[in-house]
Parts: sequence; C-alpha cells; structure tokens
Amino acid sequence: MSWIKYIEKPVVKEPIAIVGSPGLRSVGKIVVDYLIEELKPRLVAELYSKHFPILYQTRPSYVSHPDYPGQAGTLLKGGKLELPKVEFHLLTYPELLITKGYHANFNGQYEVAHKILDFYQEFGVKRMIVIAGYGREGKDVCCAATDLELIKELKKYDIDIGYEGPFYGFSGLVFGLGMLREIKGICLFGKTQPSLEDPEYPDPKAAKAVLEILSRMLNLTIDLSKLEKE
Amino acid sequence: MTMQFKIYKEPELRDPYMVTGLPGIGYVAKLSVDYLIKELKAELFEELYSSSFPPYVLIKKDGTVELLKNEFYYWKDIKSKNDLIIFAGNTQAISSEGQYEISNEVLNRAEKFKVRKLFATAAYVTGRYLEKPRVYGAATEPELVEELKKYDVLPMDAGSISGTNGLLFGLAKLRGIQSICLLSETPGYMTPSGRVLADVKAAQALLEVLSKMLDIKIDMKPLEQEAKMAEDFVQKMEELERRWVEEMRKSVSPPPKDIYL
Repeated sequence: MSWIKYIEKPVVKEPIAIVGSPGLRSVGKIVVDYLIEELKPRLVAELYSKHFPILYQTRPSYVSHPDYPGQAGTLLKGGKLELPKVEFHLLTYPELLITKGYHANFNGQYEVAHKILDFYQEFGVKRMIVIAGYGREGKDVCCAATDLELIKELKKYDIDIGYEGPFYGFSGLVFGLGMLREIKGICLFGKTQPSLEDPEYPDPKAAKAVLEILSRMLNLTIDLSKLEKE
Repeated sequence: MTMQFKIYKEPELRDPYMVTGLPGIGYVAKLSVDYLIKELKAELFEELYSSSFPPYVLIKKDGTVELLKNEFYYWKDIKSKNDLIIFAGNTQAISSEGQYEISNEVLNRAEKFKVRKLFATAAYVTGRYLEKPRVYGAATEPELVEELKKYDVLPMDAGSISGTNGLLFGLAKLRGIQSICLLSETPGYMTPSGRVLADVKAAQALLEVLSKMLDIKIDMKPLEQEAKMAEDFVQKMEELERRWVEEMRKSVSPPPKDIYL
C-alpha cells in the first residue's frame, strides 16, 4: 500500500519533473536537495508507503532483495516526527515538479514507481529529468534517454551517452516505467568514484557538475558556491 | 503483483503451435527462442511487464532505456500448416507467485488462439562438459512421449523443470493443452571467472529437434557465428546479475546512532 498526502492542489500546466534519490554517492539526492534549498519551491504533496523502510537490510539502499524487506518505523529529526516519504515540490517558474525520492524495499519498488507516475499524470507531466551518479571512466556528466531524439537534443548542451548497464532503485524504475505512460525522460549521470565502505557517501563535486548543466538547460539562476565549500 | 500489457497487434492465426523460452540455466531456452524469432523474422505483437521482475531497468549501448519484459511474437507462412506463437523475454519473474501468474497469462493466450500444441524449452543439467548435447523430452500425454522417440529425443522419466519454463509445461496439462517440453543437455556450471556458460551448442541441439517437430526449415549456419555474439550478451547480462546479487549479499548495515527501535 502506497498513498499520496496532498498538501495543496495547485493549478499547473505541464511541469517538468526533476527526479533524484539517495543513489550512488547520493548525487541525485544532493542535486534535488540543493534545488529545493535554493529555489524554494512549495511542498505540494508527499507519498507514503508501507514498503519504505527506515532501516535497510541491504546496502546500498537502492539494491533490494525479496528476503530483506528492512525495518519500518518513524524517524525523529530535530525533535520532529517523520515517516519515510517521497516529497513533491512545485516551482512556478519555470514549472518544475521537484521529486525527492526514497527507495522502497523489493516488494514495493514497482508499486511506488507506478504511484509516482500516476501522480505525474495527474499533474500533466510529459517530461522528466532524472539525476543519478555513475561510477565509470568518462565525461563529468553523461546522459541516457527514453528515445534517440532526446539524446540528439542533448548534444546541444555538449552532453553525450557514456553509461551502459543497470539502473537500480527509485529513479531507475520511475525513468523506465515512464515510457509506458508516454512520459519522455532524460537522465543526467554525474561521474563519481564509487565508495565500497559507504556507497551513498555524498559527492558534492559530481552533483555540482550536474547542476551546472541543469541550470543551463532550464535557465535557472542558482548560486553553486555553497556546494563548492562542501 | 501488477502486470501491464502493451498490445501492438491482434493477429489471426491458423492452428498455431506455441514455443516458449525464457532466460534460465545456460540461457538454453532463451538462445533457442531468440534464434527462432530472428531466423523466422517473427513479429512482436504483445509485451508483458510485471512487478515481479527484478527491480531495475537497463541503459542500452545507444543510451536509451529498456524495461525488463516478456514478449509474444507470431509467425505465419503459407507453406506451413500451422502458424507459430513464440513467448520470449529478457528476464523472468523472481517469485513463484509471479511465475505462476505470468504462466497463466501465457496460457490464457494459448487458449485464446486455440494453440494446438505447446513446446516449452528448457535446460537439462548434466554437471559435466559435453561434446554433443542430447535432447531430453517430456510430454503431457503418453502418445506424445512415443512421438518424441521418432526424433531421437530421450524420454525424461524423473527430475524437475524449474522456473517459468517448467511451470508453463505443467500448467498446460492442467488446462488440457497438449504440451511437450524439450530439454537440452548443458553443463550448467560457471566458468572459473564466475561466468555462467551461454550454451549455444545446447541451443543448437534443441533447435534441430524443434524445427523437425514443427516441420519448419531454419538455417542453422549463422548459429555458430552467433555463438560469439550471444556469449558477449550473456557475459554482459551475467555481469549485471552478478553485480546485483553481490550487492544484495552485502551485510546488513548497522543502525544509525540516532535511530531507536
């Protein structure tokens, strides 16, 4: 069971969804967190799921296993109670639906991704930009897309393909299953060094490289200096 | 479990046979049906997506994304009395529940198209290297077992056929659909580097029997050339699976200090 808690139901036209989750070296998470902090969009909805653990039995969290569902529970942050969730933040101009993802356990991964896409369709989302990390040799940022046309379009921004392989977890499934709903998507992968001890250890440098390109693509004015200090 | 279907076409078929094969041991079933699809230029008419598939997507070499899926193809030929439905895919459901549900979906189509006979493909694990793999067979009816002998297929008296490839065969019997399962011998072991052998030779042996039983002609020559390509693909798939399993096996992470249960 996964459900949406609406905070407001705004009038929207056709927002572009920006998707990030705590994947490899947390590149996607840092980018989304930074966008939320800098652009100050409104929190419009949250998604909760019985498949969201607060404690994962698999490491990294985005790799799931049917026998290890993790531990459900409530988190305490600065004295405030919180359940694990996905957050949807809406920016009015440009119209962006910034999605702060969360990894479900094995049994919930497809369910959560479909629920996210139901919500996107409700909001008229036709395009999405997914942010993640990749741990191979190559350019600072490479891309993937739901079709070859989009890959051609990305060459305008001097971005090319460069990663071949599996894309696990929240962002991968939202990206891929979007194709079944005719939601086109691109993915920007920031190059990072995988860490064996802590696969999700933050890499702000990789996140910054992605944010620079994202700012150009969406005409955003974002001060990236705070990331430089990290 | 949720399933989604993408229907491209609703073909009209004459007394079709159905051939099934998903990735399993040695990729014998997958290699066999994929080759059949390619050589016959069979046409895709439906795709099936399931939440019981492994939870990841694939980024392909050209940068586009591909979902894990199962597929239905058809083939028609005026020279042949029977059209053909082929069930294939790049994955199979992980859970038993998923395997049962998908098998039932496949058999629903078999009933809808009034399939005359279902041919399930699978691997017969020997645990040793074989110069020339033999083909074993099992069937839903004694007459079919007799028929198998005409094609030099060895009867399989005891054993188990696991996964969707095996379930399709067993569930077909419950529905009264005549069914034959062909199992090609394969070592079923990993190479020293930990790679699962993509057994093209086993697929070739299976296809030689299957094409005779279906009374269709397929050119087997390119199969050898394809061996290398198939092996490369399987190496890649195996690497993905291996990495996934490796990640899964890593130990439980210690609870963060600020979380209390």
